[in-house]
Amino acid sequence: MQLTQQGKKQKRLRGDLIAACFLLPFTVLYTIFTIYPVFQGAYMSFFKWNLMGKQAFIGVDNYVNMVEDKYFWQALWNTTKFVLYSTPAIMLSSLVLALLANRASPLKRLYRTVFFLPNLLSVAVISYITIYMCQPYDMGFLSNLMHSLGAPTEFEIFWLKDKHLAWVTVVVATLWWTQGYNMMLYISALQDIPDQLYEAASIDGATPRQQLFKITLPMLSKTTALILMLQIIASYKVFQQIWLITAGGPGRATRPLIQYIYEQGFQKQKLGYACAMSFVLFFILIILTLIQRKIGRKGEEE
Amino acid sequence: MTAVSSKRHLKAHTGMRRQITPGTVTLEVITFLLAFIVFVPILWSFVVSLKTDEASLPSAFHYFLPPFTIANYIEVLSGGTKVVLWLFNSVFVAVVVTIGMTLLCSMASYAIAKLQFRYRKGIYMYFLAGLMVPGEATIVALFVLANELKLIDTYLGLILPALAGSMNIIIMTSFLTGIPNDLIEAARIDGAGEFRTYKDVILPLSRTVIVTVSIFTFIGNWNSYLWPYLCAMSEDLFTLPIGIPTFVSQFSVDKTIPMTVNMIASLPILLFFIIFEKQIVKGISLSGIKG
Repeated sequence: MQLTQQGKKQKRLRGDLIAACFLLPFTVLYTIFTIYPVFQGAYMSFFKWNLMGKQAFIGVDNYVNMVEDKYFWQALWNTTKFVLYSTPAIMLSSLVLALLANRASPLKRLYRTVFFLPNLLSVAVISYITIYMCQPYDMGFLSNLMHSLGAPTEFEIFWLKDKHLAWVTVVVATLWWTQGYNMMLYISALQDIPDQLYEAASIDGATPRQQLFKITLPMLSKTTALILMLQIIASYKVFQQIWLITAGGPGRATRPLIQYIYEQGFQKQKLGYACAMSFVLFFILIILTLIQRKIGRKGEEE
Repeated sequence: MTAVSSKRHLKAHTGMRRQITPGTVTLEVITFLLAFIVFVPILWSFVVSLKTDEASLPSAFHYFLPPFTIANYIEVLSGGTKVVLWLFNSVFVAVVVTIGMTLLCSMASYAIAKLQFRYRKGIYMYFLAGLMVPGEATIVALFVLANELKLIDTYLGLILPALAGSMNIIIMTSFLTGIPNDLIEAARIDGAGEFRTYKDVILPLSRTVIVTVSIFTFIGNWNSYLWPYLCAMSEDLFTLPIGIPTFVSQFSVDKTIPMTVNMIASLPILLFFIIFEKQIVKGISLSGIKG
């Protein structure tokens, strides 16, 4: 099949057109709703902007205000606190659950399903389950259970009124909600470890404990690095469950950055300022994503 | 051959591990207790939704004992609440997004994986860049944009931005690249054009990845909160995750009706999980093993 120069060119054009038909619908939506808002947001951050639209160009004033705004730093610190509290807890619990649920057991499938189940529930549902579990005076399950088990009636724990307990509640609720997903990732990594390794080890007389520390955990290190990064990234985006469970309270003790962005942008109508703060979050997340992709690529190469 | 021998390995391995020792019994008990603790909040929510007399229950344990009644469900589903409408909205939006996402993604991925055209690499890189964009950090700008496009408080506004993520394109492209070119060329020789090849060869062959992508799109959308929260202004447009908090906040002491609403919002997705459990588990692990 010899093609003339013109035929080749025509064929190439036809190829481009056909590809365009397949690509266009998605590319248009993607450009408008994913890519464009990045630039729109950057642009807006240099303006005074309310719900009526653009008001005035104010240069870097939004950024200057941000640096001087103690509530911004508090919210950023709260988000970071959430990352610091929840990441180690979720990593550890999902690893432990994976190891337990991956043992040979007649109930293996049931365990996996149960541990994963909360992950399927909507954030609104898990938040209200948490709130109702934690209500004081026998209205919530925990208080009720405590008293049914013999605790004195005057003894109460105010899970959402105390600032430390509010953090505990939010972190435990998040743990309960999300650990199942990471557990599944760990289980699939566990299943990729060749059985021969364990067989060889047990022939050599290695105890189960030695097998765990010398084979299983080292073999999981790549997965652990990946889950760690995914978990940090996801935790930096925390908003919904805190918003619904504590609304950032008591006071402002658990208010995360996205909530502050939401309040400034939509309740106080400072959309430009909200965009400037979003940009900080964007920057943090981009750096974390780049690190995560680097780890992921290293994993593929090996 | 390999399948058989690896199965034998597995048997030997599990056989070895099934030995009952004090250690394995302890681990079994611990696992069972943990599973129980994880399950209790869900079970408790469910039994609360089956009670009408919760104020008079003498202890926490009585929640789990009969009498049970479905009166709350009848009240929520038949009464003048908007819960049924929100349920419809949730299902409608999630189904449209899932179908749309699968269609758009499989088309675009097919082009990138199998068609010859200029700037193919460049377009792929452009999609890859989208993985770096955290939606949460651009939500304010997205709101302003959707407002200008008159999409706020419309179904289209709930649907279109949900179709614009590029994660699924990346997953599908890597799958489609693995489909042997011979199959596509065979179809071409039979006289099929690119559209027929897509419909008759690519779509059937990519069933596994389409199922995975659909399931995750559906679950993700069913539970999506931040964007619907900003976009849906009128109660008639709420999805369940947005409606539940406004509905529940009317109840200060009684929690049986709120828990019923929680259950109504959760049962469809739990049912969905039970039906597709195998695919979901496989999708999470992203292991290419054929089941």
